[in-house]
Amino acid sequence: MIKETIIAELQKIVGKDNVLTSPEALKAYSYDGTTSWIHEPDVVVFPTSTKEISEIMKLANREKIPVTPRGGGTNVSGGSIPIKGGIVLCTTKMNKILNIDKENLTATVEPGVVLMDLNIRLAKEGLFFPPDPQSFLGATLGGIIAENAGGPACVKYGVTKQYILGLEVVLPTGDIVNLGGRTLKNVVGYDLIHLFISSEGTLGVITKAELKLNPMPPARKTIMAVYDDLSKAGESVFRVLENGVIPGKIELLDNWVIRRIEEMMPLGLPQDAAAVLLFETDGIPEAVEKETEKILEITKKYGAVDVRAAKDMDEANKYWLARRAGFAAVFGKAPTVMAEDITVPRGKIPDFIKKCTDIAKKYNVEMCILGHAGDGNLHPSILSDIKNKDLYERSVKAMDEIFEGAVEFGGVLSGEHGIGLEKAKFFKRMTDPVVIKIMKDIKALFDPNNIMNPGKIWD
Amino acid sequence: MKELKELKKVEQYVDQCMKCGFCTFFCPVYQEEREETAVARGKNYLTKLILKGEQEFTDELGEIIGKCLLCKRCVVNCPAKAQIDRVVVAARAEMVKNKGLGFIKDFAFRKVMKNRKTFGKYVKLARAFQWMLPKTEGKIRHLPDFLKALGQGRNIPELADTFLRDRVKEVYKPQDGKEPKMRVGFFMGCATDFVYPDLGLKIIDFLTRHGIEVIVPQAQNCCGAAIYFSGDFETGRELAAANIKAFDNVDYIVTGCATCSSTLKDYAKYLPDNEEQQKAYEAFAKKVKDSTEFIIDVMQLKPEDFKLKKEFEGKTATWHDPCHLIRYQNIKDQPRAILKGLKGLKFVEMPNADLCCGMGGSFSIYHYDITKKIADKKMDGIKATNADIVVTACPGCMINLIDNTLRNKMPQKVYHLLELVE
Repeated sequence: MIKETIIAELQKIVGKDNVLTSPEALKAYSYDGTTSWIHEPDVVVFPTSTKEISEIMKLANREKIPVTPRGGGTNVSGGSIPIKGGIVLCTTKMNKILNIDKENLTATVEPGVVLMDLNIRLAKEGLFFPPDPQSFLGATLGGIIAENAGGPACVKYGVTKQYILGLEVVLPTGDIVNLGGRTLKNVVGYDLIHLFISSEGTLGVITKAELKLNPMPPARKTIMAVYDDLSKAGESVFRVLENGVIPGKIELLDNWVIRRIEEMMPLGLPQDAAAVLLFETDGIPEAVEKETEKILEITKKYGAVDVRAAKDMDEANKYWLARRAGFAAVFGKAPTVMAEDITVPRGKIPDFIKKCTDIAKKYNVEMCILGHAGDGNLHPSILSDIKNKDLYERSVKAMDEIFEGAVEFGGVLSGEHGIGLEKAKFFKRMTDPVVIKIMKDIKALFDPNNIMNPGKIWD
Repeated sequence: MKELKELKKVEQYVDQCMKCGFCTFFCPVYQEEREETAVARGKNYLTKLILKGEQEFTDELGEIIGKCLLCKRCVVNCPAKAQIDRVVVAARAEMVKNKGLGFIKDFAFRKVMKNRKTFGKYVKLARAFQWMLPKTEGKIRHLPDFLKALGQGRNIPELADTFLRDRVKEVYKPQDGKEPKMRVGFFMGCATDFVYPDLGLKIIDFLTRHGIEVIVPQAQNCCGAAIYFSGDFETGRELAAANIKAFDNVDYIVTGCATCSSTLKDYAKYLPDNEEQQKAYEAFAKKVKDSTEFIIDVMQLKPEDFKLKKEFEGKTATWHDPCHLIRYQNIKDQPRAILKGLKGLKFVEMPNADLCCGMGGSFSIYHYDITKKIADKKMDGIKATNADIVVTACPGCMINLIDNTLRNKMPQKVYHLLELVE
């Protein structure tokens, strides 16, 4: 339990209304978007300025109190769970878009700005922030940057790290530093900014960010390709790219997911298909037309049994609605869902899919695959039940083997969710000990008292 | 372990939430508060803990589950389709059961009774509403909430000199003297009865002019929204029984209040305690129609059947979707069809037409500061249209929209849709 005097000090820093200590409030900050990680903090604080965050960190550092930064609490790796108790530092009340610079295609934001709010505002200027984690309705920029999040648009536009020009960070000691800047090119010393991108809140608190923006593409088109073989769908992904088309998105839904979505909301997806690929082309209208034709041609050539371009926005929206419903479809179906975000090199997608299917069969577990196939980031998900010991053990073994398989194919444990608590076990097993040592040393350099989101990544 | 009968009925919805947090984007209260306890995910999680026996019915819990507009924006946008409105209402019902009715009473009166200046007016209201209270219950407690919000600097509508129930006849024959096409029971609703009696007469007149016989049973009661949404299911069931009995001999029950129509329809959803009630509520719900829905779907009136009242000619109107119409009843096109049918009136959609006005019944009494902030967003939408008038179909929304247009010194007047129709 945290001392009363500390609470009083926190209240002095951020104001009484911005400190929560009731048992009910603490429970409401014990979870995030993961299924089963739960831990209550001792106190929740809502700073409204960099200076306040600096003071909170000084206090926490002096008293050696763990601090877990949190934004919208939508992450799926356990990153914002206060696993060691202490302070939850919630940035949701720092949600101002400070500046939009149309000349330089940049925006300056506070960490608590929700991605959707940013994009609504940017759309008025004909701009957008490309990285698109599918939690965009709740995810805040601070968290998005700390997790180096990505989404379907990665295939063409990349992930968060490609869109961060500068950061203001409060270090665990309370020092305020500015990293990077406002320019596209910047090679002034070590590239420290990228240490904070994907630091999962373990090195400091991001308090301001300078974002790189893109002009909004004037046209877009959606294509749905239907397959009677999951691996063939996987092959089409790299065949399209190999033939010179880089669509804005390529998403995969397998048969299990399709049927479940149709059960939830009948959208007219082909229920007997082994898999469906959704493509979205975007850009200037002429290019979109040409790319669409090309995708129709290539997917047909490489085994799609049916391909259609959405005739209007309504049809397109329907397909993307289905894709967005994908996770709900999976998570609503089993008491415990082990959903991973393994990423493999794109050419290995068909092999990896086959491997996953074989492993699921071997351990007799129900598994489905959906994901951002375009960037090799798949979400093999095992439907399990932590209360069913036998099933759960088989599920764990199956997922272990899937991870090992992915690494064999040159893949990584996590493409966009981060390690957090969820994948710490695999991280230790599959990462070079020397590399882990370097990471720990870096952590100790920034955070000598280990107060910043402790218990994550390697613990 | 407590019995938790009401919560058990909604346990499946509690379990559906996968904590994705998308509700944060849609929740008007979270958008102002930006704290997890304000949003569906937080409320649902605490409810889950009640069911697991890990959360008691504390005052703080009461505050948290009380702080919900029941606007259902989270529900219609939930990827898992979790019906958190039902979870919140059931949690309130358990709260009432476990803490006693004092839970509501204390809440309702803390702010109201303090203001001596408006106390006289309040007593007058209390007297006006006594008739509808169950005999065994404390009286004033059940005042419809929007009328209780006195003494907070709010623009309260004047009570009518004579209430509608004292002005209506029991039976109105079709005006053309012919055999009635159908027999409709008119459900007044408290706001129409006490504040907008002319609106009630207007609707009766409109219906009878179109060959419908209208009966207005004096035995009808309050719809129960303010009561069962606060968690008092017992009284809610008494009101349901009274209303079902009062309207047992009609083809349809029509009301001009979106909240009433939705509340009457939803007895079946929130209140049933046994098979028999379930059946009775469902049968009743089938006969209930909101006025806008009735005019378009049942009477099947076409655009040319509507005539604009002279005083609105040349005016520009915008439409506010009441939560209880658009999300509770999926009624979106019908009022627009009427508005567009009114020749001489220009109709403009406002941005965020479906955004809650911030009223939320009792919510606006306990959290008037948040209500104002939410309403300001609504006002921004209205301002953007440059409309002369704001039209809606819920007297509850009307009261809040009037308060906030006045507070923002806006020129727009607020009307019920049927006030525009000749």
